[in-house]
Amino acid sequence: RCQHCPPLRALQASAALRRASDEHKKEPLTSSSQQHFDSRPAGHQPEQEPQGPHPSYTGQGGQESEDYESEEQLQHRILTAALEFVPEHGWTAEAIAEGAKTLGLSVAAAGMFHSDGSELILHFVSECNTKLSKLLEKEQKLVQLGKAEKKPIDEFLRDAVEARLRMLIPYIEKWPQALSVLLLPRNIPSSLHLLTSMIDDIWHYAGDQSTDFNWYTRRAVLTGIYNTTELVMMQDSSPGFEDTWRFLENRVADAMTMSSAASQVQSTGEAVVQGLMGAAVTVSN
Amino acid sequence: VYQVFETVAKKYDVMNDSMTLGIHRVWKDILMHKMNPCPGTLLLDVAGGTGDIAFRFINYVRSVRQRQLQRKLKHHQNLSWQEIFESYQKDKFNSLGDSQVVVCDINREMLRVGKQKAQHLGYSEGLSWVLGNAEELPFDDDKFDVYTIAFGIRNVTRIDLALQEAYRVLKPGGRFLCLEFSHVSNPLLSRLYDLYSFQVIPVLGEVIAGDWRSYQYLVESIRQFPPQEELKAMIEDAGFFKVDYENLNFGIVAIHSGFKL
Repeated sequence: RCQHCPPLRALQASAALRRASDEHKKEPLTSSSQQHFDSRPAGHQPEQEPQGPHPSYTGQGGQESEDYESEEQLQHRILTAALEFVPEHGWTAEAIAEGAKTLGLSVAAAGMFHSDGSELILHFVSECNTKLSKLLEKEQKLVQLGKAEKKPIDEFLRDAVEARLRMLIPYIEKWPQALSVLLLPRNIPSSLHLLTSMIDDIWHYAGDQSTDFNWYTRRAVLTGIYNTTELVMMQDSSPGFEDTWRFLENRVADAMTMSSAASQVQSTGEAVVQGLMGAAVTVSN
Repeated sequence: VYQVFETVAKKYDVMNDSMTLGIHRVWKDILMHKMNPCPGTLLLDVAGGTGDIAFRFINYVRSVRQRQLQRKLKHHQNLSWQEIFESYQKDKFNSLGDSQVVVCDINREMLRVGKQKAQHLGYSEGLSWVLGNAEELPFDDDKFDVYTIAFGIRNVTRIDLALQEAYRVLKPGGRFLCLEFSHVSNPLLSRLYDLYSFQVIPVLGEVIAGDWRSYQYLVESIRQFPPQEELKAMIEDAGFFKVDYENLNFGIVAIHSGFKL
């Protein structure tokens, strides 16, 4: 049926571009896709029947070429194109519609996504995390090759968080809106997952190899630092966000002193708990 | 089918209200919210006779456009009064943002009633009324952003042809939306629904529209219509992607949606 040829060829046309972005699919952080899409094996360009409800009678013939784009890839492209319109329209279906228009699709294609722009925001966060990972990996390679000094832990954390937060700068005006959407109950699993994997990533490249309780405390601490710095950045009007970076520096320094005082706190804590237990026993008698 | 609707045309809206106890308005509103059109959308409403969907579309787009204009004006805080006045003037003549709806129906009477309603309710711009058959639409390829067919597809003899035509006239990225009576899976509700359909509706038809047979036909055609999954498969066969359906009222009515990708 030749009715299928025009749209399929339109999808095939930019296969070359998409192959370049193929490595981004290797990231396990592509959780911007919804649950009902099967996760694709890394680096796998579809040569057999791509997932999605394809009519059986196009099984044979030209449409089966390896350039075939799946719905998921198309959605990714639309969302990426839509990011350009976010400063003007906010994180809304309108921005997605404008993005679809630039790709030559009808504005109705925005109907594929939720009307509150959740997918767009999750897509953006996922892309930022991917960029951060690549940046940290590159830095690590430089250190391994001996071309750069290994940074002390506090400087490493500071730079990583700063690099990640700087990615928000073009969208900073509409970011509070995005944060509130990410907190919707529907989105919390995905947004939480993205956040924790990003924090994980940073600690991994920081050289953290702990397998004990420290793993949790480290992640909790860094998550706290990241979230509070993000909020400070929202209402920071200083030139170049210097207030935010200074806040970040202080928090990271606090965390460092805290870890050394942690054991002290622990023993104090134990003492306090014992005191309370004694008091409870006394009172109950 | 033609004759059924010829006799029914004038009383169509009244019958709809009494049969569905007015819920059909809610169903159509839900359809519009699901569509969420932005200004500049070109809609084709097939079998849209009396214009319910078309009017809702115009209202929706108008309010979205209003909000857009308000936002733009807010950004213009620093302009002089002259500039603000000029930009307001320019936009005043574009209250629909270039959105348009084409109402297509096979039945001249239904279109006539629709046109009268439009005049009566004050809808003047953005509307077109075209006589046409869903199995063979009088439009070029790749024209429309959205294609809707509300309570019309069960009256089409060859549903697959209608779906193929829908695919043809939609732009790439365009959306197909179908609002139709469907199958109730809940057994208790199914029995109540059957009771209501076969006992109450034809009686209402006789009393209000003076036409028992048309409404008997209507109820039977609902039962004959393919269930949700089958219709979904048919839509996929026509070439649409991301086909999905949403049951309203436990399956009494379902909205099917697909994209031409």
